[in-house]
Amino acid sequence: MMLERLFSLDYRRRRLLARAPAGPLRDFLATPFADGKVPCTETRYLALDLETTGGDPQQHEIVSLGWVCLDGTRIDLGSARHRLVRLAGAMTGDSAVIHAITDDEAATGVALEEALRELLAALAGRVLIAHHAKTELGFIGQACARLFGGRILSPAVDTLDIAVRRLNRQRETPAPGSLRLGTLRRQYNLPRYPAHNALSDALSAAELFLAQLAQCPEPPLLKNWQFRQ
Amino acid sequence: MNVELIEIRDFLADYPPFSLLDPAALDTLPKLMAVRYLRRGSAFPPTGEAAALYVIRKGAVEQRSADGKLIDMLGEGDIFDAPCHGALPASSTVPATVASVAVEDTLLYLLPCPALQTLRREQPRLDEFFVRSAAEHLRHARHTLDRQAQQRPDLMAQPVSSFAQRAPVTAAPELSILQASRLMTRERVSALMIVDRDRLVGIVTDRDLRSRCLAEGVSPEEPVARIMTSGVASIGPENAASEALLTMTRHGIHHLPVVDAGGVRGLVSATDLMRWQSANAVHLAGQIRKCASVAALATASAELPELQMRMHAGGANAAQVGQAISSANDAITCRLIELAQQSLATTLGPPPIPFAWAACGSQGRHEQTAHSDQDNALILHDDYRPQEHAAWFEALARFVNDGLDACGFRYCPGKVMASTPAWRQSSQAWVATFQSWMRHTDNMGAMLAANFLDLRVVFGDPALLTPLHETVVRECARNEGFLARMAANAVETRPPLGFFRNLLLAGGGDHAHTFDIKRGGLIPITDLARIHALSAGLAEIGTVARLRAAAGHETLSSEAALELEEAFSFLGGLRLRHQAGQIRQGLPPDNFIAPESLTALERTQLKAVFAVIGRLQDVLAQRYPNRTRE
Repeated sequence: MMLERLFSLDYRRRRLLARAPAGPLRDFLATPFADGKVPCTETRYLALDLETTGGDPQQHEIVSLGWVCLDGTRIDLGSARHRLVRLAGAMTGDSAVIHAITDDEAATGVALEEALRELLAALAGRVLIAHHAKTELGFIGQACARLFGGRILSPAVDTLDIAVRRLNRQRETPAPGSLRLGTLRRQYNLPRYPAHNALSDALSAAELFLAQLAQCPEPPLLKNWQFRQ
Repeated sequence: MNVELIEIRDFLADYPPFSLLDPAALDTLPKLMAVRYLRRGSAFPPTGEAAALYVIRKGAVEQRSADGKLIDMLGEGDIFDAPCHGALPASSTVPATVASVAVEDTLLYLLPCPALQTLRREQPRLDEFFVRSAAEHLRHARHTLDRQAQQRPDLMAQPVSSFAQRAPVTAAPELSILQASRLMTRERVSALMIVDRDRLVGIVTDRDLRSRCLAEGVSPEEPVARIMTSGVASIGPENAASEALLTMTRHGIHHLPVVDAGGVRGLVSATDLMRWQSANAVHLAGQIRKCASVAALATASAELPELQMRMHAGGANAAQVGQAISSANDAITCRLIELAQQSLATTLGPPPIPFAWAACGSQGRHEQTAHSDQDNALILHDDYRPQEHAAWFEALARFVNDGLDACGFRYCPGKVMASTPAWRQSSQAWVATFQSWMRHTDNMGAMLAANFLDLRVVFGDPALLTPLHETVVRECARNEGFLARMAANAVETRPPLGFFRNLLLAGGGDHAHTFDIKRGGLIPITDLARIHALSAGLAEIGTVARLRAAAGHETLSSEAALELEEAFSFLGGLRLRHQAGQIRQGLPPDNFIAPESLTALERTQLKAVFAVIGRLQDVLAQRYPNRTRE
């Protein structure tokens, strides 16, 4: 894995493409990744949030997906999607309370494969935005491996990671809770949204990203903000 | 299924124009939009965007003219639609060269103009919002206000609970008569409800203490149950006040306990209910005529706020209420003059010469509310000889001015009252005074003259005023210098710019927590109407009458006159609603409206009113450019 990082993302994409079986994953990998030498303000993105039954991609399930696309510094609400997933196992009580999604509601959802197919089509050519991107990448990776039989790779920016790096540059230690999505949004005068709806959270992350970008005197290059994976 | 992007949908639903969309169109609206974020200090609208309507979701945008003057502030929920050319009436005065900047970190929703056009084609109510003229907007706004007022149920249909507000005063049956009467005295009630284990068992009134205890020689140490009336009628808190009144009439009683399953809730008295029912204009005028003292008049006048509130609840508009209150004030003034004459007859004798009592200001224009100052003057016959007659008229003026103050029409802060010697002159002297005001080059003279132009005879011989009033109207129209000074006064008080969050935004960037609807809206329109009528040589006195008469004349287009009339009626309606709320809460009515008590739509409408006033002040200022100030 460490060795992998020495190669450019797009080179790694091409290697994975060669090994990917035909299907949505292969279609996704066939689209070139965004150029890292382009300023962040001129890149296309997809902000994603997942609600899950727990924190471990190996044993927990995706409950819902929400995403919205950005073209540069403009969020296109027409691209917003929210998909409830029909679950294999029953919702555990705790996560049902957090996400306010019951088994009955989840039963009305779509198959994960269908939602994933839609997501990958939208994500092709775009950079993923997520708050704590590791979670989203982990669950999507696990699902792709299981459903499409291959490894996925996507360029990503992580709003949490950007916030941490900013604090590090200022030699500040983050206060407890200060890196939560809602707390960070307040710092940028962004409105309060109801938390724990995948689409709301995806939109929240997208807006936070725009605010973080607007704070820079000069727009950074994508490669400088890219999440290392 | 749940609506996607519900937080955006719900936000848009709270503010015009999208609050006018039907629910289905609202549900799909967010998906037509885009989001942009502006860092504080960035130019607005953002660069590189196709023409769009902007909604401020969070943050603030400041608009300044090329010379740096603040034109407007946009806050949460405000829209900026200039790029789509479907300009609101409010923004029609915004000059083309505007520098706008985000003064806070700002989140924006954008609706591309083509999407707005499509939406307007599909949604007639949205389309109306953009295409209506200012006058149409304001007429619509006024109708909405009137409808709201009418939908409020009649007072007698309101539940009994709203009339029985104090906690019930109760006693146990075994309490002594003495203790019971002490309790009643302490609590200042004329009836005591007797309650046994939460159940109402009887009632004792002042009259029972007299007729069943004192008159019968019953010892005050006896239990109160001995003199109570048992098996009393009662009423539920949810029953209508009219039912309570019927029950009392049927049983011949004046107090009715309010009882529900949980026990005794209160007590309503016939007086409580009648107080509301009796407040109507005809009844009040009858009462006023019968009053034999200033104190009695003051008591009767205390009904005026309730009369105003009831008329508003009954669907009367501001003009009708203004007529009623002004007429009541006329009746009070006449009765005070009669009382003064009776009183003076024994000391200074009968009136030495004929006179006329004239009302000016809002009473003169028939535009008073229950919260108005008094403005009046005495016009005396030309036989007036100060050495012989001054004492009588000074005494009269003082009596009436004091009486009006006691009746709630407070002393005029500017001393425009008959008790001020300058406002008590012979007919000829008035002409001379007025002419000197007209010749004076200062604006103060024009201000005094403006008062004079609203003069109307309330008591005495109208002929004393008529020739004077005609002279005034004739000469004013010819005297451009005088009109210019009046115009300078009229455009001095600029309307506010609009609202920014819960603040009133004034020119120069001042913020205020309240909106003075009189100074900031009604008076500027009254002033404009007066000048336009005057310059056209018209003798009308009321603001609406003046606007209608002057419409189409050289100085005032019919469209502008209509806009001003609608603006005036809308403001009047808003003031009535504001004051009705205060009166219902037992507060003295005033002219200060809190921005947060207005709906987002009403704020937009008020902004349109401000724009109309500002625009017509500009037109007036341009007509008299040499004399008017900035």
